[in-house]
Amino acid sequence: MEGAAMNAVVPMTVPLNAYLAVGTILFVIGLAGALLKRNTLSIFLSIELMMNAVNLLVLAYARMRGDATGQMVVFFVIAIAAAEAAVGLAIFVALFRTRRTIDVDRLSSLKW
Amino acid sequence: MSDATFTIVAAIVKILLIWAIALAALLPNLVWAERRGAGMIQDRPGPNRVGPFGLFQAVADVIKLFMKEDVTPTYVDKLLYNLAPWITMMPALVTFAVIPFGAPLDVTLGGVTRHVPLIIADVNIGILYIFAFSSLGIYGIVLAGWASNNKYSMMGGLRASAQIISYELSMGFAAASTFLVAGSLRLPAVVEWQQSHVWNVVPQFFGFLIFLIAVFAETNRLPFDLAEAEAELVAGFHTEYSAFKFGMFFMGEYANIIAASGLVVTSTSAAGRSRGSPSPASGEPSRRSPSSSRRRSRSSPSSSGSAGRSPASGTTSSWTWAGRSSSRSPSST
Amino acid sequence: MSLELVVFAIASGLAIVSALAMVVVKTPVKSVISLVLTFFALAVLSILLSAPFIAALQVIVYAGAILVLFLFVVMLLNLTQEAEGHDERPIQKLLGLVTVVALGGLLLGVTLKAGAPPVPAAGGPIGNVTDEIPILGRLLFSDHLLAFEALSVLLLLAAVGALILSKRRFD
Repeated sequence: MEGAAMNAVVPMTVPLNAYLAVGTILFVIGLAGALLKRNTLSIFLSIELMMNAVNLLVLAYARMRGDATGQMVVFFVIAIAAAEAAVGLAIFVALFRTRRTIDVDRLSSLKW
Repeated sequence: MSDATFTIVAAIVKILLIWAIALAALLPNLVWAERRGAGMIQDRPGPNRVGPFGLFQAVADVIKLFMKEDVTPTYVDKLLYNLAPWITMMPALVTFAVIPFGAPLDVTLGGVTRHVPLIIADVNIGILYIFAFSSLGIYGIVLAGWASNNKYSMMGGLRASAQIISYELSMGFAAASTFLVAGSLRLPAVVEWQQSHVWNVVPQFFGFLIFLIAVFAETNRLPFDLAEAEAELVAGFHTEYSAFKFGMFFMGEYANIIAASGLVVTSTSAAGRSRGSPSPASGEPSRRSPSSSRRRSRSSPSSSGSAGRSPASGTTSSWTWAGRSSSRSPSST
Repeated sequence: MSLELVVFAIASGLAIVSALAMVVVKTPVKSVISLVLTFFALAVLSILLSAPFIAALQVIVYAGAILVLFLFVVMLLNLTQEAEGHDERPIQKLLGLVTVVALGGLLLGVTLKAGAPPVPAAGGPIGNVTDEIPILGRLLFSDHLLAFEALSVLLLLAAVGALILSKRRFD
């Protein structure tokens, strides 16, 4: 990474591209889980994994720029993910009680 | 010896010291107090055969547990069943890393004086590290209950984890108040604050009480022993465990108690006056105590903090928060 | 071979392997446990990126609360095995795989080729300072105060909503 004022920030020992690669691979794995699994809970877990991969990417860029706003973003994303997980699981529990199945193909009554 | 190797060797020595003191010395005393001490209170003998006053009962227990046959039921989930005791043991051992156990020492080795803080890892998120690992400890109990394929274990595991999660909140708030006044999340910072002001028990007495009660709940001790509940749930989440794995749950629980007690003491009532150095806040003369240090042969006279009042070199060493008490006044943040 | 590189290699290897395990494993409980391991590895990576506070938050909130919630739901509803896949749709699986591989390759290529945006001339506190928690605290309560307050309202709403949604109807 070349930048005009790289010496203003302490450079990273591990190159930025390594973190980007890891974050993207984790995102793609989460995407695979979300698209290919039929268990609703597993899809949910894969979505959480995708969010965390994005967190890692934001942190890597924040470290590169030396900016603390990136860590603020991650802080908010973690808290919002907690709220979303709670509500999502409540919906899932309510749905499971009536339908008695976790297969996402059988829960798809909104489709034509 | 270069700086890097010295740091590594010092860390290993500190870890061994903590394990020796906490696990090998304190744990048998706790077991003794729980069995013999409770027996004395309840007007019955308690274990009195193994050592003088039954003091070595814990050693006998541990030897027995290691030698017993390990019975694994057939329909358990093998991976989770074997993993759960390790997950329970891990936070108990790891939490010791951020709790300071003494004032920093100045160690002279081969002519080079190094300043060794008596804390294994002085991370700047001290208390959050402890909360993180106690949150991970929930998994051990829940997985033990789940993997045992047994209704009583399952109920015990779920009850214990629900209890731990509920009291994590109270523990966090009560601990947070002590860290708010110190202005930092590091435990040595809290100790320093208490050293220059007053023990946190005094201004935050109710916080201390809540912290204490929450720690009882976190470590599954009476009256919060829903996890074990010997009168109700056979043995709770560790019903199906025997021998070495049960020993790990047993020792993990007591190590957890010791670590949690260390945390409570450090954040609310730590730091007596360090020997031989004037208190930075009050400026009263230091108390000359006939101290002996553990590293008498290798210690150097105290370096910066004592301002000329330290005793003659070579015989005693004064344990000061050297370098810090002189540079930080109570009013600076 | 600095220590940072070694820790990075171990942590990222662990993260990727346990993420794969989460997607592949059949039982939901083992899925959740592998995700816990993934989050722990991600926390280690966050520490390497000078974000120890975020790392602690990740373990406390994500691995220690959200995933415990998942685990409770799995255990209380007794979701022991994977959904029965008797009517497998191979075309759907194939399409999904193709999409994932294509999208993944595209993302990887774009991310790695794009390079870094120019660094601001002032440099920054992260990486330069030993204790960045006061900086985060100051930012949270000055620049992002509105977001912080909105977040607390959101959490309250989520708690109330989860409570109402999962109540049993005793009619």
